[in-house]
Amino acid sequence: MSVAATTQPAEKRLSLLVTVLAFALPVIFVLVPLAIFLVYSFFSVDQGTIVFAPTLGNYARFFTDPIFLPVFWNTIVLCVSVAVICILLAYPAAYFLTTLKGRWRYALLMLLLVPLLMSYVIKIYAIRSILGLNGFLNKALVALGILDQPSTLFVFNMNAILLTLSLLLIPFAILPIFLSLERIPQTLLRASDDLGASGLQTFLRITLPLSLPGVASAASFVFVLAIGDFLTPQMVGGISGFTFGRILYSQFGTAYNWPFGAALSVALAIVVICAILIGERFGRNRGTSI
Amino acid sequence: MNALPRPSTIFLAAITTLVAVLLYSPLFVPIVSSFFTVSHGNVDWSSPTLSTYVALAENHDILAALRTTLIVGVCTVVLSVVSGTLLALYYHGRRSGRSILQFIIFLPFLMPPIISGLALLIFFREIGLERSLLTVVIGHTVFVLAIVYRTVLMRLQSMSRTLVEASYDLGATGWQTFWRIILPNLSSAMVGGAILAFALSFDETMITILVTGTQSTLPVRLWAMMRLGFSPDINALVALILMFTVLLCVLAARFLIPRQMATERT
Amino acid sequence: MNLNTDLLTLRSVSKSYGTVPVLHDIDLSIKDGEFLTVLGPSGSGKTTVLRLIGGLEPLTAGEIRLDGQDISRMPINRRPFNTVFQDYALFPHMTVSGNVGYGLSVRHIQRKEIARRVAEALELVQLGRFADRFPAQLSGGQRQRVALARALICQPRLILLDEPLAALDLELRRQMQEFLKSIQREIKTTFLFVTHDQEEAIGMADRICVMQAGHIRQLGTPHELYYKPNCEFVARFFGENNLVAGKLGPVQGEQRPIETALGRLICSISDQLHLKTAPDGASAFAAFRPEALRLADATDSGNRFSGTIADLAFAGSSTVATVTAGADTAVQRLRLRMPSRIDGSALKSGETVSLSFAPHEGHLVLA
Repeated sequence: MSVAATTQPAEKRLSLLVTVLAFALPVIFVLVPLAIFLVYSFFSVDQGTIVFAPTLGNYARFFTDPIFLPVFWNTIVLCVSVAVICILLAYPAAYFLTTLKGRWRYALLMLLLVPLLMSYVIKIYAIRSILGLNGFLNKALVALGILDQPSTLFVFNMNAILLTLSLLLIPFAILPIFLSLERIPQTLLRASDDLGASGLQTFLRITLPLSLPGVASAASFVFVLAIGDFLTPQMVGGISGFTFGRILYSQFGTAYNWPFGAALSVALAIVVICAILIGERFGRNRGTSI
Repeated sequence: MNALPRPSTIFLAAITTLVAVLLYSPLFVPIVSSFFTVSHGNVDWSSPTLSTYVALAENHDILAALRTTLIVGVCTVVLSVVSGTLLALYYHGRRSGRSILQFIIFLPFLMPPIISGLALLIFFREIGLERSLLTVVIGHTVFVLAIVYRTVLMRLQSMSRTLVEASYDLGATGWQTFWRIILPNLSSAMVGGAILAFALSFDETMITILVTGTQSTLPVRLWAMMRLGFSPDINALVALILMFTVLLCVLAARFLIPRQMATERT
Repeated sequence: MNLNTDLLTLRSVSKSYGTVPVLHDIDLSIKDGEFLTVLGPSGSGKTTVLRLIGGLEPLTAGEIRLDGQDISRMPINRRPFNTVFQDYALFPHMTVSGNVGYGLSVRHIQRKEIARRVAEALELVQLGRFADRFPAQLSGGQRQRVALARALICQPRLILLDEPLAALDLELRRQMQEFLKSIQREIKTTFLFVTHDQEEAIGMADRICVMQAGHIRQLGTPHELYYKPNCEFVARFFGENNLVAGKLGPVQGEQRPIETALGRLICSISDQLHLKTAPDGASAFAAFRPEALRLADATDSGNRFSGTIADLAFAGSSTVATVTAGADTAVQRLRLRMPSRIDGSALKSGETVSLSFAPHEGHLVLA
């Protein structure tokens, strides 16, 4: 555009200001903190004070200490499970939404997304009370005769974290899957029907493959949100539900070892970046746009 | 997808219902509790009461936290909308450096909040900035900036380029074109972005916990209280917040789904 | 207004996007008060010419002069030109009168004066009743007229129209063509009209500038371009010319023969110096219109050859016959247009006929 051809002195000063702002703002408040953080992971702590001398000790400790790697691995497994549960529940719901017509479709979608905006802390608290020994879940299971007496199966352990995170994150799985299903042209399904496929065949051979990109981004979405969460495990995990996020957080609280916490964050960031890249890789629509 | 056999429709509807129940049950519990007495998982349906709401009005601790949250929210909205809009205007139609800086802007949104929060925590310490509401506002702004930026940028991209050209062609200066053509066409996207930014700031917990000083926002205050168990008036607060949230939602939908007028392109 | 003075002159204007050249050394003069159409297929650079004149893009080389003064560096908002954009570019958040008055209000003209001139302009484009509507509430043709009113309210020296009718359906386009032409006659402002539609160009323009691949191929009145194309591209671009390739023979006064697969054809070269000076034996085409070709009778002497009717197509008032002519090695497909007759065509498919065209209706085009 020839906008530049018309600049006057005042505009030039403004555009210079905007240029500086446009570069400085993201760099100062995002890049610099992250860089300092990364540098911190190469420092160490001696008797409560940070020693500013470069060392790989934090990373060595992460890989050699018998505690951290297993927790790290268990947390990854936990978050993958959360992603799987969310997708198993979200896919049928998203599919059902796309079978609806016009206004109903979006009203129901909205209905399923609104809980996202509800206070996070309150939801964790409410879910904890539902899962608790005297909670609604145990009451319901006892009343249905599935259990003889209230169980501690979902109280202050990994199961509780798994269920709570899944419940919190389902909406994040519904949206991408819904969007990918909605993008599939109806004519493709008609064509499949027309060629003699049954409803199930059409679903398995047309709809499902074409919606996999949405599933991939939903999975990476949920996984990233789950693995970064330290509030939920803290609240519902009790002593046995120890996740990576909690260990990380404790380095900045009780353990007070910021450099080691920074190193753990780098490990977390690497997993997150991998998850995002994988989601991106499979989340891309290959040849489905017509 | 319209020729579904009946059993599968029923199956899908059942799962969808289950999902809706699962999503709403955590909201349902505190709302019921705000009107009825609950003890040990048993609801006493016989005596509806508004006493929790009265108690809430007298809980100065919570009201102060709510006030803090609103202050932080408003500051975050102003900062993020102004800088997000300027950034979007700057990077719209500019190739050089755009993808890298765009990536940086999106980082805090993509990274787990614990990483963004900790990075900011160390950053504030390094530059000697005491943890306070200011640091919270900075943290929130950095977090929601990507959303505002993206909302405004998408509107800019859907705006016909010839509108700006036509304005210059008719003799307008750069300023006139900005104030009279570009800004009015962006306003609804900016309002929508502001609502989203406010909603995110209102509920932001993880970054806030890490960078806040002595004053807590509402989620952080609730988080601290939760370890001890909630007093019943919290339920009243939750019910009120839910209503407020739904209102915000409706407003955001209104502004983010552009009016016919604003999208009209031939 | 004086049709003989040049309003705007383009001298050796070139334009490249990066390393991709889109205009090569364009020279063009626009006369004051004329309706000039720039015609060309997509990618010919015609819209670029308009954008360069309007100031929407900077020149790569050359200069643009207005009344003899170089305005190449003048910013878009100071040029006394206004544009009607292809997508109209109406401001969606302003009413019709807000849109039309914009050019005046950014110049800080008094409200009363703006209101008066807006009403006047809307009256001119017959949209007085729609002043308070928003663009989204108007039809395509109405938006078009708003865009026109908005462009002419500042009384520009030149109005640039970038395929303004492309989005309209056929019937509306016909009406708008007449409407534009009548407005132009009324306000006597110079119009530069860009289009890819040759019928539109012929119907509206005082002069047409044919462009192809970043070059101006021919500039002239519609009549000149139609009957005296100067190159194969223009000859083929304007309708269904019959072109027969051959070698030029020696000049014979105002005529010149060309040896073709159909034998020796004699064509007129009046007033066309380049045809007179072309060397003997140069490759060229004989060009003649389908309506110039006719069934020969005994009196016809020149340009006579025989052909076979391959196909007959009834097209209302006229009937078009496709004829194959010439030797087996160089079969020519020619078109012959004749008035339709109520009792059906006198010709039948497969029939062999004798054809001819008069030398003064034949034209030469250098290959």
